[in-house]
Amino acid sequence: MNFDPSEEQILLADMAGRLLASHATQTVRDPAAEWRDCLDQGLIGLPFTEAQGGFDGGPEEVMIVMEAMGRHLSQAPYLQSVLLAGRTLALAGADEALTGLLAVGARHALALFEPGQRYRWDAPATRAEPTAEGWTISGAKVAVLDHDGETVLLCPAATPRGLGLFLIPPGTSNVLLAIQPTPDGRHATDVTLDAVTLPPEAAIGDPARNRAILAEAVDGAILGACAEMVGAMEQLLAITVDYLNVRQQFGAVIGSFQALQHRAADMLIAIERARSIMIYAASMMEAPEARRSVAVAAAKALVNRSARFVGQQAIQLHGGMGLASDYPAGRYFQRLTVLGMLFGDTDHQRAVVAAGGGWAG
Amino acid sequence: MELQFTQDEQAFRAEVRNYLLANVPERIRTAVYQEQPLPRAWTVEAQRILNRAGYAVPHWPLEWGGRDWSAVKRAILAEEIDRNAVPKPLAFNVALVGPVIAAFGSEAQKRRFLPAIANLDLWFCQGFSEPNAGSDLASLKTSAVREGDAYRVNGQKIWTTYAHEADWIFCLVRTSQEARKQQGISFLLIDLATPGIEVRPIRSIDGFHHLNEVHFDNVLVSADNLVGEEGKGWDYARYLLGQERTSMGNVGFTRRRLDRVRALAEQASGEHGAQLIDDPAFRRRLTWAEIELKALEITQMRVVASAPVQGIDPKTSILKTEGGELLQRAAELLIDTLGPGALTAGFPEASEDALFDGLDARSGIVSAYFSSRKYSIFGGSNEIQRNILAGSVLRLGRPS
Ligand SMILES: Cc1cc2nc3c(=O)[nH]c(=O)nc-3n(C[C@H](O)[C@H](O)[C@H](O)COP(=O)(O)OP(=O)(O)OC[C@H]3O[C@@H](n4cnc5c(N)ncnc54)[C@H](O)[C@@H]3O)c2cc1C
Repeated sequence: MNFDPSEEQILLADMAGRLLASHATQTVRDPAAEWRDCLDQGLIGLPFTEAQGGFDGGPEEVMIVMEAMGRHLSQAPYLQSVLLAGRTLALAGADEALTGLLAVGARHALALFEPGQRYRWDAPATRAEPTAEGWTISGAKVAVLDHDGETVLLCPAATPRGLGLFLIPPGTSNVLLAIQPTPDGRHATDVTLDAVTLPPEAAIGDPARNRAILAEAVDGAILGACAEMVGAMEQLLAITVDYLNVRQQFGAVIGSFQALQHRAADMLIAIERARSIMIYAASMMEAPEARRSVAVAAAKALVNRSARFVGQQAIQLHGGMGLASDYPAGRYFQRLTVLGMLFGDTDHQRAVVAAGGGWAG
Repeated sequence: MELQFTQDEQAFRAEVRNYLLANVPERIRTAVYQEQPLPRAWTVEAQRILNRAGYAVPHWPLEWGGRDWSAVKRAILAEEIDRNAVPKPLAFNVALVGPVIAAFGSEAQKRRFLPAIANLDLWFCQGFSEPNAGSDLASLKTSAVREGDAYRVNGQKIWTTYAHEADWIFCLVRTSQEARKQQGISFLLIDLATPGIEVRPIRSIDGFHHLNEVHFDNVLVSADNLVGEEGKGWDYARYLLGQERTSMGNVGFTRRRLDRVRALAEQASGEHGAQLIDDPAFRRRLTWAEIELKALEITQMRVVASAPVQGIDPKTSILKTEGGELLQRAAELLIDTLGPGALTAGFPEASEDALFDGLDARSGIVSAYFSSRKYSIFGGSNEIQRNILAGSVLRLGRPS
């Protein structure tokens, strides 16, 4: 084994870090500009093959970029549009849509979750019926991260032939969006589809393979989310340690109090643990689905648990300052909380591992 | 010993509950249940309803509206107020500044302030913390210099909850430099409309505006507003912090949150068709919280119903830490009932404050999760409480 990044990977980390840092220092962040820079610097094409018009990046490169996203609290819709929706397009062979993403940064969003189903996405109640002109699709989706009136929606729906995948362009009639701000400064959307009519070519992929396609894209996105959380946790610990070393109470820096030293040490332990399980999941991305999914779920479970601890303790160690929304610690806590609720909370992921039937080792 | 509530106490509980449900409007109780910041007028309305029944200040001296109810009854009252989602009487008024004025204030101050404080005709906020004086409160620097029959106040307070809603602020100020920093501190009441005061908002991570900075630039305050003796402010602050312990554990509030968790988990589907409440992992966490709450309830009653302890009562620090941590755990369970829906359950945007349209069963939960981190920070952080337990109670590192 060798855990050191290659020279190219170091260059990638530097480039992504610089690019995202330049946006992090803006007083008012501009997610659209950040997204454009990601496009110009080739980050959007990263996880796609050369044949698809990408740069052949694998799980290691995705980890590197996503850690930088976490460290700088990126507002670009990378997790959604590239890792989740983009990879789904690629795996489903939706070349035209993928070209739109890679060439001009056309944003896409995958609507994974439905009301009353919690984190299960493989048996949607949303239904698509074939008609003479194409399809009619009805149902509801919840919490589509970074989806708005200018995003192409990728919508899984039950069809008579199995799990269908549909592209719904922005502005389609009978699609109702309820856009909500998320605590981490982004937005997420509940979508209602009321007999939405779509042309035949709106269906992408293949009902026989769509479940496996989605599973692969989701696992890749979960790995990305884990990396974003690890990057965010490391930065949050750095911010906290800096604070402990300057904040004075009782005539001493509070970092000299052993109770707080031990708490910071526990945060470090939790982060290293999270990084290790994330690396394990990255190493399993090429494994057969059953083993890959268990590894990814194990990673998300442990990263979630670490993130809750690290986030809460960072706030605690800052005292009142931790509660102030203009101070960075709180924003990292908010981001970690949102990512922790995405794809599967700790209980859900642990149940996936348990149901995986023993350790896939 | 008498390990059960007496018949009289049970009857009192029923009487309180009936009054609250019959008199406090549903709109207010719904907003509290959903943990929305209340419009100022609603807070005032609710406190007046409580005050009418003697429920706002029962722990005060009889002549100022107190009742001769036992501490157990007062604890029952506090619990019922919280559990039934009735706004608590404003703590800064009834639990903090009121008792200090009643104990140390002049007759004129008592007459002027106590009835208004009880009825929330005057809203007080608490100006103790400063940028460099948090846990180490005695390091506070805001100065009050005597000039004839007035004090000239300069300095800054921070984390002042509701300063933007309040009429007055009670402050700890430094009136002289002494060898021990706990000396030379005085307790001053200041009208927030006085020239030279500026209140600046601090938005918190729950998305709302509750906190403020309060800046004093050459503010002239009549010496009539000094409470008690100059230089004794630290003693009064300690007195105030040791007051009303009957609701310290937040038992009723946690009970209400766990009730809401249960209600949501019974509606929410878990996975594979079952309800969330039937999910073994979720159920185990909820059950633990309920068991610990039961223990806390008894600890709370042991604090209020036992003979006073000589010196420091360790149960006070235990109640504060356990009560806060359990409230935080209940908030975690609440947000975890939402699943991915937490992302669209609603969060106040930087540009707006509380909105009362479009509220539903999930409203307020995400904000409550974030804001609940405060329970282990304010009023003596959990680290400070543990220092007290280790040092003053267990006498660790101080062999006698
Ligand atoms: C939501 C909220 C509302 C508030 N409302 C008010 C109000 O209305 N009026 C008011 O006056 N104040 C208010 N406060 C201020 C509150 O009382 C202070 O935040 C608290 O006293 C902690 O002080 P600090 O924020 O300066 O943190 P610090 O004292 O700087 O503490 C930072 C960290 O160091 C730890 N620490 C400090 N000393 C020690 C030690 N000796 N050993 C171990 N650990 C230590 C703390 O526990 C904490 O984790 C409020 C605070 C919050 C969060």
